[in-house]
Amino acid sequence: MTPIVTRREFVRGASLAFLGAAVRFPQEAGVAPKASRVVLVRREDALDALSQVNEEVIQGMLDEAVMRLLDQPTPAKAFSLLVRPGETVGIKTNVWSYLPTPPEVERSLKRRLVEAGVKEEDIGLDDHTVRTNPLFQKATSLMNVRPLRTHYLAGVSGCLKNYIMFAESQPALHPDSCADLGSLFFLPQVKDKTRLNVLCALTPQYYGRGPHHFNRRYVWAYKGLIVGQDPVAVDAVGLQLIMAKRRQELGPGQEVPPVPKHIQVADRKYGLGVSDLGRIELIKLGWAEEPLI
Amino acid sequence: MTDLAALLPKSIQGWEAVQKDAVYDRQTLYDYLDGGAEVYLAFDFKNVFVRKYSGPGQNEIALDIYDMGSAADAFGVFSCDRQDEEAGVGQESEYGPGLLRFWQGPYFVSITVAGDEKEAEKAVLALGRAAVPCLGSPGAKPGLLQSLPQAGLRPNRTCYFHGVINLNNRFFLASENILNLGRETNCVLAEYGPGEAEPVRLLLVQYPGEAQARAGLESFMKSYLPEGRETGAAQTENKKWTAARARKNYVSFVFDEPSREQAEELLSAVQFPKGERP
Repeated sequence: MTPIVTRREFVRGASLAFLGAAVRFPQEAGVAPKASRVVLVRREDALDALSQVNEEVIQGMLDEAVMRLLDQPTPAKAFSLLVRPGETVGIKTNVWSYLPTPPEVERSLKRRLVEAGVKEEDIGLDDHTVRTNPLFQKATSLMNVRPLRTHYLAGVSGCLKNYIMFAESQPALHPDSCADLGSLFFLPQVKDKTRLNVLCALTPQYYGRGPHHFNRRYVWAYKGLIVGQDPVAVDAVGLQLIMAKRRQELGPGQEVPPVPKHIQVADRKYGLGVSDLGRIELIKLGWAEEPLI
Repeated sequence: MTDLAALLPKSIQGWEAVQKDAVYDRQTLYDYLDGGAEVYLAFDFKNVFVRKYSGPGQNEIALDIYDMGSAADAFGVFSCDRQDEEAGVGQESEYGPGLLRFWQGPYFVSITVAGDEKEAEKAVLALGRAAVPCLGSPGAKPGLLQSLPQAGLRPNRTCYFHGVINLNNRFFLASENILNLGRETNCVLAEYGPGEAEPVRLLLVQYPGEAQARAGLESFMKSYLPEGRETGAAQTENKKWTAARARKNYVSFVFDEPSREQAEELLSAVQFPKGERP
């Protein structure tokens, strides 16, 4: 059981409690602290007035983010550090009908994988059937790409939650606010294979209502991508963005989406990555209007 | 379940039912709701009837009728997500772009739009009105609502539930279930105070017995308000007061009241069944 975090921690000015910046949960043995780099790239023209995605701009955003993430001068050099020719690569996308991973992001990612020497037929794109998909079963690398949104149980659906389709039983991951989502990254089909996490914040969803937890009133055109190799750090930044938007739109009483403990648990219990914003190097590129974070 | 498939309209204002109707129960609800199933399973949910309608363009309307097992729980699931203006459908309702929600007897109904919400608005409201007669007689709201003090109570902001997931979705209290809430507890969360200011919140919890109530209060004091264990009240970091009090199998909590006296008064004004006062 994780230590209890209450509303008072947030009131105390520790509004980043779940991110570990203000409340220090005990480190478990063998988990070494490390820094993680996350790139937030935004472009005003990523979406048009009707929220249609501009694929050329998205390609540029992805390239810019990955180059900066890996300190490489070209997209080719950057992606060559992520995958090698001859690999089999699974792109774990998200097909939730209300807010799916934009195909433009999927195609931009795939384009660079091909350029890095991965054969097109060795690249798979899947969501619900990744466990049984033959390509994903033999994949040597995974790319984790999905939209950022709130979630009734987990608080936020980000890169950590995106791997729930690798689980034998999804409901088994639901107890305790989906606290153990980090364990998914240690499944044999997944372990040590994730090369890149792309959290699409083009139109994030900061609040949800109704049985399907979606309504277009609660998404906004943020026009960003949050990119990193550490899924915990990427989600920690995503959570910070959602919380900032909730505070702005819903007030401080509803700043915290219930209950995003899985991000910190992935760090402190599973040692999967860094949830402490103080140890995340967040690099912001591009459009700077209303960054919120 | 009533034979809803036969009673509900197959077409409405030019929108036609498509696909086969579906029914999901407590075991299969996960197949239908991505992540939201637990919100319904925390109530006495029985099953949900789903019919989808196709209309102009690529737009789709989803009609979901949840049999919540009792009128109290139908009101409960409706109340926990309430935000929009009353739409005059069923016992109580709300409509905002793309979403009509209402309850009638033991049924909670949600009608959602995928696509152009404006284009679907008339059909959504007409479908809701057409569904009401299929759902039977009105039912009673939870009796625990009658315990709430009326002075300063914000309209349409009171919610009824059983489990911690619903509490935290409305008002995040703690990352763990520090009140020991579950299917056996009945809870009402109400908001007080004028205007746009952060409300004062009153939470009433009815436990199955006095021992559980005492344990719930003790757990709360230990985890949330340790400095208030002796007096039952303490000023928290926002300079406002939190207070709690048990009476038989009930515990009432006040959050974020600017004055201690007002917090105590609000607790004292709670009217428990049979005229008892805490």
